[in-house]
Amino acid sequence: MVTHSRQPSADDPRVLLDQEIGVFEPVPPYPPRTEREAEFYTLGDGEMFVNMGPQHPSTHGVLRIVLKLNGEQVVDLDPVLGYLHRGVEKICENSDYHHIVNQLDPLEYISSLFMEWPYVQAAEKLLDLEVPRRAEYIRVLSGELNRIASHALFMGWFALDLGGLTPILWSFIERDEIVEMLGALTGARMLFNYFRIGGVNGDLNHEFMSRLGSWMSRAATQIEANTKLLNENEIFVRRARGLGRMDREMALRMCVTGPNLRATGVPFDVRRAHPYSIYPELDFDVPTRTEGDSLARYLLRVDEVKQSLRIIDQCLHQMPDGPIMARIPRLIRPRPGRAYGAVESPRGQYTMYMISDGTDQPFRLRIHDPSFVHLGSVGRLVPGNLVADTMAIMASLDPVMGGVDK
Amino acid sequence: MTTVSRAWGRLTLPGKIFFTVVPLLLVLGLGGLIAIMLLGPLVLQILGDNLPLVRFVIAATAVLLAAIPIAFLNIFMEMKVIAFMNLRIGPDRVGPWGTLLSVVHGLKVLGKEDFTPTGADRTIFTLAPVVVFLGTVMSFLVIPFAPGLFGQDFNIGLLYFFAVGGLTVVGLMMAGWASFNKYSLLGGLRAAAQIVSYEIPLTLSVVGILMLAGTMSLNQIVLNQSGSFLDWYVFQQPLGALIFLIAITAEANRAPFDLTEADSEIVAGFATEYSGMRFGFLFFAEYVNMFIVSALTVTLFFGGWNAPFDWPFPISANLDPASLGIGLLILVAVVPLIGTLALAAPFWLMRSSMPTWQALVIGFVLFNVLAVAAVLGWAFVSWEWVVGLLWSMIKAYGFVFFFVWLRGTLPRVRIDQLMNFAWKWLLPAALLNLFVTALAIIVLGR
Amino acid sequence: MDPAFKRRLETRFRGVLLGPVHQRHDETEIRVGPGDVSAVMRALHDEPTFRFEFLSDVCGVDTGVVMQVVYHLWSETTADWLRVIADGLSRDDPRVPSLTPLWPGAEWMEREAYDMFGITFEGNRDLRRIYMPPDYMAFPLRKDFYLPDDAARSPGAGVRHVEQSHAPVNADPSVTVRTARGA
Repeated sequence: MVTHSRQPSADDPRVLLDQEIGVFEPVPPYPPRTEREAEFYTLGDGEMFVNMGPQHPSTHGVLRIVLKLNGEQVVDLDPVLGYLHRGVEKICENSDYHHIVNQLDPLEYISSLFMEWPYVQAAEKLLDLEVPRRAEYIRVLSGELNRIASHALFMGWFALDLGGLTPILWSFIERDEIVEMLGALTGARMLFNYFRIGGVNGDLNHEFMSRLGSWMSRAATQIEANTKLLNENEIFVRRARGLGRMDREMALRMCVTGPNLRATGVPFDVRRAHPYSIYPELDFDVPTRTEGDSLARYLLRVDEVKQSLRIIDQCLHQMPDGPIMARIPRLIRPRPGRAYGAVESPRGQYTMYMISDGTDQPFRLRIHDPSFVHLGSVGRLVPGNLVADTMAIMASLDPVMGGVDK
Repeated sequence: MTTVSRAWGRLTLPGKIFFTVVPLLLVLGLGGLIAIMLLGPLVLQILGDNLPLVRFVIAATAVLLAAIPIAFLNIFMEMKVIAFMNLRIGPDRVGPWGTLLSVVHGLKVLGKEDFTPTGADRTIFTLAPVVVFLGTVMSFLVIPFAPGLFGQDFNIGLLYFFAVGGLTVVGLMMAGWASFNKYSLLGGLRAAAQIVSYEIPLTLSVVGILMLAGTMSLNQIVLNQSGSFLDWYVFQQPLGALIFLIAITAEANRAPFDLTEADSEIVAGFATEYSGMRFGFLFFAEYVNMFIVSALTVTLFFGGWNAPFDWPFPISANLDPASLGIGLLILVAVVPLIGTLALAAPFWLMRSSMPTWQALVIGFVLFNVLAVAAVLGWAFVSWEWVVGLLWSMIKAYGFVFFFVWLRGTLPRVRIDQLMNFAWKWLLPAALLNLFVTALAIIVLGR
Repeated sequence: MDPAFKRRLETRFRGVLLGPVHQRHDETEIRVGPGDVSAVMRALHDEPTFRFEFLSDVCGVDTGVVMQVVYHLWSETTADWLRVIADGLSRDDPRVPSLTPLWPGAEWMEREAYDMFGITFEGNRDLRRIYMPPDYMAFPLRKDFYLPDDAARSPGAGVRHVEQSHAPVNADPSVTVRTARGA
C-alpha cells in the first residue's frame, strides 16, 4: 500500500522524483487535502499508478491524468490541470473592453470565434446595443464554418486516438480549406480576433466568397467521403459503440452540454433553447441520439456538420446589405450592471458572465468553458474501461485544453 | 631533428597517407601471399570438410547484412505509401524522392545518446534489443528466396521458423520488464499475451499445408507449388491462408494489432525508454519482421519463387565471356565510349544552351543505366535464380504493401477484442481448417 | 424578459430573496443569502413549476466588499436565464453550501472558485486547488491580489515582483482594491 508516508523534501516540496528508486510515482508528497484525494492516492491490491501526460502522445493539449490501474483496467483516475493556466480572467479584468476579444482567442484554439461570441454578446447586452443584421449574418456564417472545421478535426482526432492514422489527415483537408477561407475573411488562420462589440471586423470579401463558393459545391460529398472511412469500419464501430456511455440523467447532473448532451437524447441547443443572433430566423434541426456512447457522439457531430451546411446555405441566400458595425465609441464605459452571454459552440455552451462597474475595464469576466466540465465527467466515464479507452473516451468528449485551463 | 623527420614534415597530407599506406600494403600483401601459399591448402581442406558450417556462417553474415537495407526499404515504403494514403507528399528531401531518408534515420539513430534509465536492469535492458533483433533476423535463414538461394534447407524449416521467431517475444518482454517504466511493462506484457495467443492459430493454420506437402522444409513446400498459380496452396487452403495472414499480422505487431506500441495509449510500449541504436535495433527488427512474415506468407501460400505462369518464350542465352575473344576487349573499351557519345548527342543537339560537359554527363549516366538494365535482363533470362528472386521479391513486397495499407486504413483493436478474436474465432477456425483438410486427404486418398 | 416567471419566483421565494427580482434583457436575477442556497436550488431543481435541470455555470465574484457565488440556470419553463446570486459572503471566510448533491458536475466549477477566490463549498468532497500548484498561498482572482501590470495605476508602481499576494505595505486599500458595490 502506498500512502503518504514520505515527507516533503526540505528544499522543494514539489520534487516528486524519488531519488532512491529513481522512478516517478505520481503520488503527491504532502498529506491528502481532501477525502477524495486520500481515497484516490491509496492503492488497493494489485493496483498501480500510471502517470499519463502532460507529455503523452495523445493527451489533447497539456493535460495530466493520473490513472489507477488494475492490470489494464482503469480503476480510478484523477485529472491534474493547470499546466496551461494563464489567468485569463484576471488579465481580462485589466484590459479594456475592445482588447479582451484578443485575449479570449487562444482559449479556444480550435474554433476561436465561439469564444469571442459570448463575450461580444454579453458586452452588447451591457451596452443595450443593436447589432446590424448583416453583422449578425456574417457572425453566423463564419461561426458555422468554424463549427464544421472543429467537428472535422474532432473526427480525425477521435480516430487517431483509436489508432487510425489516416482520418486525421483527411479531416485536415476540410479544416485547412475552411481555415484558409476564414483567414481570407478575418486575416488570421487560427486566432481570428474577428468579432467586435457591435459587429464584426471586416466585410465579406472576394477571396472568402470565391473560396466558400467552390468549397460549398463539394463540401457535402467530401465530408461524406471522409466519414465513410470510419462509419463503415468494423473495428472503429466495435470500439466506439458502448464506450463511455452516459445516460440522460447523468449528463444533466454532470452539467454536460453541446453534442455530448444531445447524444444522450436531450435536445438542448442554445441556438434553439435560448435563441440568440439570427438563429430564430434560420431553418435547421437539432439532431439528437439516444445511445449516449462515443459512437453516438461521433455520429451526432457528423449530423451537425450537415445542419451547419444548411445554415451556411441559408445565410448566403438571405444575407442583407448594410453596415457591419454599430456606432460605438472607442472607449467603452458601460453602465454598471451584469450580463450573461451564451452561445452554442462545437463543444457545448460557451458562456460569459460580465460585471461592469462603469469603468473601461470589466470588473469581472467569468469564462465558462464546457471542455472543463466535460473533463470533469471523465472521472465517471472511464473507470471500468481499459487503458486503451481512456484517451478514446476523452477524445469523444472533445475538450480543448486552452479553455479548460484558461 | 633528423633528415627523415624533416622530410616527413614537408610532406602534404596526401603524401603522408601515401607513404604510410603503400609500404604497409606491400608488406601485408607479401606476407599474405606467403601465408596463403603455406596455409592455403590446409584452410581449404578444413573449410571443405565443414561445408555446411561454412555455408551457415556465410548465410548468417549475408542475412545480417541484408537485414538493414531491407529494413530501410520497408521504412521508406511505409513512410511513402502511408503518405500517399494520407494525401501527403511524404519524405522528399533526402535523395531522389526521399529514398535516402531512412538511411539518414539510421545514421541519426547511431548518433544519438544511448540512454539507460535509472532503476533499469542494465544487463537485460541492453540485451533485449539484441535478442529481438537476432530472433527476427535468424528466422531469415530458412526462407528460400530463389532456387538455391536460401540460408539453410532444414527438414524442419517451418518449425525452426516458429521457434526462432518466438524468441522475439522473450526479447520484447525483457525490454518491457527491464525498462522500469509502467508503459514499457504494459507494452511488454501485451506483447507476451498477444504473441503467445496468436502463435496457436498461426501454427495450426499451417498444419494443413504440412499435411498436404508432407514436409516441413520450406524449400520443398515451394517446389510442391511449382507450375501455374493454381497450384499455390492458397487455393487449396483458403481458410488457412486467411487465418495465417491475420495471425501473422498480430505476430508481427502490425496495425490493427499493434497494441504493443500503441502510441495513443501506452506511448511506445516496450520501446518507450529506448533511445539511440538500441531503439534502432527494436525498430529495425520490427520492419525486418514485416518483410519476413511477408516472405513466409509468400513461401507457404503464394508459391514462393514460382512465377504465376510459365514464361511463354523460352530463351536460353548462354553467353560465355571467354568465347568472345578480342570482341570482349571491344565490348569493354569501345562500347562505353560510343554509347556515351551516342546518348549525349541528342541532348547536346537539342539544347544549344547546354554545355558539352553536361550533355556528356547525361549521356554517361544514361549509358550506365542502360548497361545495367541490359546486364540484368541477360541475367534474368539466363539464370533461373534471378527470375525466382524477382518473383519472390515482387510477391513479398506485395504483402509488405498490404501490411502498410492496413496500417494506413484501420484503427487499432482493443486488447480484449484482440484476445477474444484469437481464442473464440481464429482458433476454432484453424481447427476446422485442420479437420477439413485431414478429411479431404483421407477421402480423396492423397 | 418573462414577467410571469418573475411573479412565480416572488411568490415562491418570498422571505428568502435578499432583494427584488431583477430582470434585464433575457436574464432574471435573484439574490439569496448563502444559507439559503441549498434550499433554493433544490426547489428550483425539483419543483414542477421551475424544473431547472440545467446548471449552466457556477462562479465566484469578489466585489471588493463581499464575496458572491453566482449560479446560472436554464429551464424549459421560461425563456430567461436564471441567475442566482449567493450574496454577502464574508471576504475573510467565505462559505457556501456545495451544489454537488444536486449537480455532481458542479464539483470542478466549485474547485475553480475555491482556487481563485478561496470560497469554501461545504459538502464538496474534493475541494482542492485545480489550476494553481498545491503549495500556492494566494487566491489570484481576489481584488486584493496584485498583477505586476496593475502597478501602472497603483501606489505599487515600480514594484517589480512577479506576483504579490497582498497590496504593497504602504498602499491605501481604498485605492488598491477595486470595488463594485452595485455588483
